[in-house]
Amino acid sequence: MAAVRPLNVFDAYDRNLKGKKVAEADWDYKIIPGNATALKEKYNIKFGKEIVPEDKDLKERLFQAGLEMLVTTGIYNADLGRVLTVSEEEVMEGIKKTPKWLVLGENRDAVRFEPRRGNAAKKPVIQGGPTGAPVSEEVFVQIMQSYAQEAIVDTLVNGVMATIEGHGASTNTPWEIRAMMAELRAVREAKIRAGRPYMAI
Amino acid sequence: MLAGWIAQGNTIMIEQMPIFGGYSGGVEETTICDIATTLASFTIYNANYHLDGPIHIRWGITTARETLQIAAHAAAALDHTDLLLANQYYPVAGPCTEMCLLETAAQAISDTASGRELLSGSAAAKGVVQDKTTGMEARIMGEAAAATCGMKISDVNEILEKLVSSYEGNYKTAPAGKKFQDCYDVKTVKPTDEYLKVYDGAVAKLRDLGLNIN
Repeated sequence: MAAVRPLNVFDAYDRNLKGKKVAEADWDYKIIPGNATALKEKYNIKFGKEIVPEDKDLKERLFQAGLEMLVTTGIYNADLGRVLTVSEEEVMEGIKKTPKWLVLGENRDAVRFEPRRGNAAKKPVIQGGPTGAPVSEEVFVQIMQSYAQEAIVDTLVNGVMATIEGHGASTNTPWEIRAMMAELRAVREAKIRAGRPYMAI
Repeated sequence: MLAGWIAQGNTIMIEQMPIFGGYSGGVEETTICDIATTLASFTIYNANYHLDGPIHIRWGITTARETLQIAAHAAAALDHTDLLLANQYYPVAGPCTEMCLLETAAQAISDTASGRELLSGSAAAKGVVQDKTTGMEARIMGEAAAATCGMKISDVNEILEKLVSSYEGNYKTAPAGKKFQDCYDVKTVKPTDEYLKVYDGAVAKLRDLGLNIN
């Protein structure tokens, strides 16, 4: 049956509330491994020695197996203990609705983020940064500048400021917010020092 | 929060890191789950791009042979969709070591050849040690990616086989590397001569393996 429309986050929220109740242990130990193994067998998926696959048929079977895994198994909401399910048509509408390209950053520091299609001649976007690793408050600007100043780097990804004014940036405390605001100021300062003020964060 | 960000018109990135050796099982099963959750990111959470990061349950890294294979197969299977796919970097070795740079290069080569559109990193020393991340690791990530673009996949796989074999026996004794403060001048934000020499050594090794890297 055709999809009513592509799902939005409100549809997904409502569907979560009405999803089937499943115990987390059953999900983790039975449903996920059982369904993944069954689909591996159904689609005869076996990797060889190659790290990057060349076999077109294997790639197509893998896509079908992944799609069927999502449609037949769903996504588990651990807070509610319920499973959200989607139809194949909704997955296809979701793919269709997703933007085909994005612009990250602004002005002279903008970079076009678009499909490459296989090992195309176009370089991937290079996002430099500590990727969530802990960084001292005292050298936060300098570490972020070390990425922003690299010619090959197009955009930035933050580290996590380990402390703020000497306090731990613990979750669910005001210091968490203060640290986050300080991180943003520090990354902007790093971009300016590197001469790339409009680079995407 | 997601509802607010979407209403604001922000770029939505959804991140998910499948664990190799966890509930999903082996490389094939983990790849099937990786593809399923990548599709869920766009279908359910209205992602504009997806950030992957298959991680090895024993070593806590993304640069192991199995996790490279999972990420590459997932990206290649989704290549026809034109969805924007990214991957993130967690090598075991720390900054200012050749092993860290070679691990990072291996993943950049694999991600690029399998069609990924954005590479995000790198969190050296598994991303868990304070100040053990620097711009030099991003330099090798970017330069290795640029050198891989357009290469034949069979040639890429030959390089990867030799490259991954050169470091995968050393996870247990991987060099811890240096903190940013010890491999950069903190005032001028310039890498030390020592780190530049280590970098040149890693680039020379990659050239010997057949990668035409700058």
